[in-house]
Amino acid sequence: MPMKKFINDPDNLTAELLEGYCGANPEQVKLVSDKIVMRATPKDESKVAIITLGGAGHEPALSGFVGEGMLDASVVGDVFAAPGAPKVVEAMRLLKRDAGILFVVLNHEGDVMSGNMAMEMAEEEGINVKMILTHEDIAPGADAPIEDKRGLAGCIPLYKVAGAAAEAGKSLDEVYAVAEKINDNMATLAVALKTATHPQSGGAIFDLADDEMEIGMGQHGEAGTGSSKMLTADETAVKMATQVLPAANCASGDKIMLMINGAGATTLMEQFIVFRATKNYAESQGITVAHALVGEYLTVQEMGGFQMCAAKLDDELVELMKAPSDAPFWVTR
Amino acid sequence: MPETVDYSSVVSMLQTAAGLLKENRDHLSQLDSATGDGDHGTAVSKVADAIIDTIEKDESNELKTLLKAIGWAAMSTDAGSTSPLYGSLFIGMSNATPEEGPIDCTTFVSMLESGVAKLRKNTRAEVGGKTMIDTLVPALAALRESADAQPCVLTALAAGAEAAVKGAESTKEMQATFGRAKNIGERSIGHVDPGATSMALLFEGLKKGLE
Repeated sequence: MPMKKFINDPDNLTAELLEGYCGANPEQVKLVSDKIVMRATPKDESKVAIITLGGAGHEPALSGFVGEGMLDASVVGDVFAAPGAPKVVEAMRLLKRDAGILFVVLNHEGDVMSGNMAMEMAEEEGINVKMILTHEDIAPGADAPIEDKRGLAGCIPLYKVAGAAAEAGKSLDEVYAVAEKINDNMATLAVALKTATHPQSGGAIFDLADDEMEIGMGQHGEAGTGSSKMLTADETAVKMATQVLPAANCASGDKIMLMINGAGATTLMEQFIVFRATKNYAESQGITVAHALVGEYLTVQEMGGFQMCAAKLDDELVELMKAPSDAPFWVTR
Repeated sequence: MPETVDYSSVVSMLQTAAGLLKENRDHLSQLDSATGDGDHGTAVSKVADAIIDTIEKDESNELKTLLKAIGWAAMSTDAGSTSPLYGSLFIGMSNATPEEGPIDCTTFVSMLESGVAKLRKNTRAEVGGKTMIDTLVPALAALRESADAQPCVLTALAAGAEAAVKGAESTKEMQATFGRAKNIGERSIGHVDPGATSMALLFEGLKKGLE
């Protein structure tokens, strides 16, 4: 079946996407050097800057979270492909400051390669930057080695708390400590129902039978824990929450951030139904949802399914989670 | 027999290698369709273009500067993991390139060793993992052995290229444990790895460019 998408030349997808995104949000973001989305009004140089990198095709991630109170820059690659290290270093140069830069990288092979190489170059140039790797996917098992655990939508609440800490004037070490605290206490599990079409090749990124779902599927169709027959919303939510909550170190008496992130073709109706079931389950375990995120934060084209992400929050993280932000896809006043 | 190489001979080696990679664009993409996402030929072709363009623009006449510029340009190509892998190879070579003067056989082999060491910082793949490492490790061993026996760059490169081709062929019987190919597990057996093949072409091209 031919690809059915509103696109032009597949080679220009990312350029046209970024032109449109920045053109639609000119008060918050601007496009610099083709592939760097930066805040329209730069943050004061006395404060720590936060940057990230990642492929396009996951909108609104990652550039949707550039704005006051969150990211200072997002360096964008081609569809599902990391940007080259030189472009990342260019963004680091633009944000170079004595206060330092926190660099958030999601654990995917290409992203990590570019990230490590950029860190090496930044060191040679004397740029003060610390890197943090998100790896909260528990599909390979909560205790699997970090190398095997991908970075999924959990990067977004991490951007929020780190960004708020930076905005509050915390030092690089303090901002890093905040990011590390949420990074060590969050877990995500994805479930896929329906494949997506790669917008450049036109091919399906994975196969799944009509009556099946796959828990643990990655955001590029990486294999999960095997497919199973479809379950109801409540059954799916509880099955996933029983794995996600303990993996995020959540126990009775704890407060959490709970995110239900739509993959692209799962309706908000379904996302709210799943959220309700997950929240009820968490409460039955004595866990309080202190902050909720329901919607499309990190998508995979028109993939059906969602990611369930939980992060344990202490009072400091709750406050940072609720601090102001004007990022186009996370507005808190 | 050339006992040393210099800026112009290395340029000719790199140009020939880039040309050979571009000629094999469709072949490499076909190999990649069997085990990956079918874009390795396109990716390598972008890197080859970066090599050719950087050489054309270079005004330094210094090999150390040129190799670093090629590495930087290769890394900027947005060709998935191919960009950082090839990019770090050239940057690593630049790091071990003397500031000036002709390069003898031992130094040339050290440059390639430095390049591969830099490339390997990007991946946990070892020999047997059905990746370009299966080409690079035997190729370097053959280069070093030849250089120790006889200080001739062309002889060493011929030995390195032969070992590289054999190394690439050895991936056919392996099961992928790295990259996207690992998702298909046992079904990867019977297909030659495209990354291992493109690296073998690079070594063959370097040799042909010096002949």
